[in-house]
Amino acid sequence: MPHHNVKKAEAMSFSEEVTCRHGGETLTACYQCGTCASSCPVARLDSRFNPREVLKLALLGEKDELLSGDAIWLCTSCFNCQERCPQNVEIAELMFTLRNIAIEAGNSPNIYADFGGALLADGRIVAISKFVEKKREEFGLPPLKPVGVEDLNKILEATGFTKPEKKEASQ
Amino acid sequence: MSVCTMEQPKVGVFLSDCGKQLSEILDFDALTNFVKGVPNVALIARGSEFWRGKGLQTIVDAVKSGKINRVVVAESITKISDVNIAQAVENAGLNSYLVEVLDIKDHCAWPHRNAPKEATEKAKAMLLSAIERAKLLEPIEKLEFPALKSALIIGGGIGGMQTAVDLADLGFEVNLIEKQPFLGGLAARAGRFFPTDDCAICIQPPSSDVKTITHTSRKCVYRSGFGEIPNLNILTNASVVAVEGVPGNYKVGVEKKPRYVDADKCVACDKCVSVCPVEAPDAYNANLANRKAIYINVPAVHPQVYAIDEDACKFNDCAKCVSVCPTGAIDLDQKPEQVTFNVGSIIVATGFKEFDASAIKEYHYDNYPDVITNLELARMIDGFGPTGGAIVRPSDGKPAKKIVFVQCAGSRDRRYNPYCSGICCMISLKNASLVKEANPDAEISICYIDIRTTGREHEYYYERARDMGIKFVKGRPTEIYADEEKGKLIVDVEDALLKRFLDLEADLVVLATSMVPAEGTAELAELLGLDLEADGFFKEYNAKLRPTETKQKGIFLCGGATFPKDAPTASLHAHSAALKAAKFLNSGKIVKDLRTAYINDEYCGDCEFCPVMCPFGAITLEPTTENHFVARVNDLLCEGCGVCVGTCPLNAIELKNSKSTQLAAQMDALLSVNGTSKPLVLAICCQECGHTAVDSSGMAKMEYPANVRIIKVPCAGIVRVNQILDAFKAGAQGVMIVGCKTDGCHYEVGSENAEKKADSAKVLLKEYGIEPERLEMFKMVYIEGAQFAEAAKMMTERVAKLGPLKLMGDS
Repeated sequence: MPHHNVKKAEAMSFSEEVTCRHGGETLTACYQCGTCASSCPVARLDSRFNPREVLKLALLGEKDELLSGDAIWLCTSCFNCQERCPQNVEIAELMFTLRNIAIEAGNSPNIYADFGGALLADGRIVAISKFVEKKREEFGLPPLKPVGVEDLNKILEATGFTKPEKKEASQ
Repeated sequence: MSVCTMEQPKVGVFLSDCGKQLSEILDFDALTNFVKGVPNVALIARGSEFWRGKGLQTIVDAVKSGKINRVVVAESITKISDVNIAQAVENAGLNSYLVEVLDIKDHCAWPHRNAPKEATEKAKAMLLSAIERAKLLEPIEKLEFPALKSALIIGGGIGGMQTAVDLADLGFEVNLIEKQPFLGGLAARAGRFFPTDDCAICIQPPSSDVKTITHTSRKCVYRSGFGEIPNLNILTNASVVAVEGVPGNYKVGVEKKPRYVDADKCVACDKCVSVCPVEAPDAYNANLANRKAIYINVPAVHPQVYAIDEDACKFNDCAKCVSVCPTGAIDLDQKPEQVTFNVGSIIVATGFKEFDASAIKEYHYDNYPDVITNLELARMIDGFGPTGGAIVRPSDGKPAKKIVFVQCAGSRDRRYNPYCSGICCMISLKNASLVKEANPDAEISICYIDIRTTGREHEYYYERARDMGIKFVKGRPTEIYADEEKGKLIVDVEDALLKRFLDLEADLVVLATSMVPAEGTAELAELLGLDLEADGFFKEYNAKLRPTETKQKGIFLCGGATFPKDAPTASLHAHSAALKAAKFLNSGKIVKDLRTAYINDEYCGDCEFCPVMCPFGAITLEPTTENHFVARVNDLLCEGCGVCVGTCPLNAIELKNSKSTQLAAQMDALLSVNGTSKPLVLAICCQECGHTAVDSSGMAKMEYPANVRIIKVPCAGIVRVNQILDAFKAGAQGVMIVGCKTDGCHYEVGSENAEKKADSAKVLLKEYGIEPERLEMFKMVYIEGAQFAEAAKMMTERVAKLGPLKLMGDS
């Protein structure tokens, strides 16, 4: 995106910071019609999440509110909003972009730290549990073997992946 | 032409010091002495100004005396003085194209006022360049082309009808053709108009209607006298199938489909309709009801003649209408007719239509009968419509009490039509108010993204709607679904202001669909040689200043053919198109200076570059021997931009007033004197925005170094790669090409072509061992004088840093 070349990160507004990232390019096309909100199954159930509101906050530069809040983590990536957006805003992609920014800023729900730790340790996001082992046995599937993480860790290291920090007493 | 070219050039040079202000900077004695030494200069005169008054008389006298046959004037306001001097010279008996005017104030004295010596040297180069060009100038002849005082208007909606009345009133022979069997177009189906709330079939009658005309006599079409205007020929059921000819003299082939009813005999008695046993969907009424196979749209249409729907009629297997018709008007054996119109001008008034909303799957327009469009609702509101004015659910015919409007259905939507159609907010406000007025207990909601009521009286419709109790929901619905238990539709929408999800119950959902070009727009554009915009509507010549003209002189646009319009705007547009057409046809001839392109047959052949590139369709290919052809320029269509010249790989095309020999002589002259310590930079500027950016930098006294030399060409598109190389050979250390902005190019593609050429020239320069950075293309407009000065400085510094240019062969 053009912004990347002409401006230094510290001079950027938050919406520029978003639009110059992969997945965030389409943010400014949003004109707040609310098609996403009425398409969203989560928004109906949980008042903490409304995709239209997330985009508006990003456009207005309410960085702290977005990055420290719960909203961006509640999207289930069903892509209903993105399919129906009349401005072709990649809303679901934007949620990932915002999450990436949040993680870089040290803001992520603790469960992501658990996922990250499990990935580094076992090569899986979800550790093998007794429940899974039992179910596999019931279905006649062979037990899961530990996977080698040496090669995976090389890739993760090369991409700069680190285990997200857990937040103290986050609720 | 021969007399002057044979005659030895005798150049008169007129040096203006602009009330002594220029001689304070430039050394005029040095300039005079310099000019004296230039061969073929027969006269030098100095004065305060030469473009008017006594100064201009000096030029006129010199021309009349026969002492000079070429005129070079160094002035300060070239763009005005050019015209004045050319006119005076022409009146004095010398061809106006044997004049060269240069701007030594804005292009030299002012921008270089702090380096007077350098400025004087540059002024010498500029004068030499003008003299050398003047020596090579040739007279340009004027040609007259006949223009027929007649017009063909395509489309009989509100725009086409208004244009027809205007042109007919002015005495032109007018032919109005309409594809449908009845006039009125989309507008007539709208029932009522905003902002006047009057009927859609109301038009301004012709002033030739002596019986009823008064200043305020707006009339229904049927009583307007529209059909009785003697010099207006109306053809319904007709469409254009072929277009030939040139501006002022077109031959338009029109196919007239049979109506099967003789207009001269039909008395509109309705007997045929009452006996017709065939029913067919009534497309005029949005298929909300059926009509007979022989029909009339609504009682007050024009013409008052029945028409037969040939897809439905059983013809001679039935023929009941024939036996009942009291005047024998029905002729089931009518055949399509081909008619050719010979006209001077064509006006496109083809309008627009509703977008097919079934593309928006989540709104289920194609499978829920109770999801309709605004036009369908308008037919219900119309007392002559399929429901007699009742607002009903098409699914069961029961009254619709709860009505939800959905705005921007297909508009402002990058998946369908990214533009705002501009009129749908007003249409919905009007229709909602009409429904509410007739049915006060109707519950109406309008779901909107933004309400746009930008015209006069338009906001009032919004106020009135709120006042009437119409509800507004700020949100675009995600889906319309059917609640089968309740037998209602549900509109699923978030009200963004409340941040609340609403499931609006509805008997009827009205989609405010976007408006798209009428059927057949692309095909007609192809026939007429016109361009379409990305949105599919006809492209006007210039959206700001020439909204009803096209790049084809003689073809005009009006109404919704260029973009969706409300009735007042369509009317305005129609009057503008009529005026432009009248202005074009009025004198019965087109007079044109032939500073056009011409082909050198010796070099031209078997290549198709120029006809494809010409923005005006002025070049065709003509066969010579078997399998060989050469290009031919149509003088009437050619605008003299030179895009073809820049395109020709064989240097086989030249512009009569901008020949490559003339440009080369100028280039050599401009680069023959440096007089500064900096490397010479040649700025090739298009005569439109590029050259005016240079003007404005000078006018605003912006400084840039005097080593930058300006050469004017008609369009940046004329520049050839070999000319760029020639500039370097002639001594330029750097070359700038300055053209219009890509979208603002006065010749459409010139600036874009020049940029492409600069890119390919850079590759070539590298091959020749010349640093490609020595060449750069710039795009500017008049107000960007500062950018020009900056660019000139930048190029000078860049080239200075590169050091002297070494050409192959240089030691």
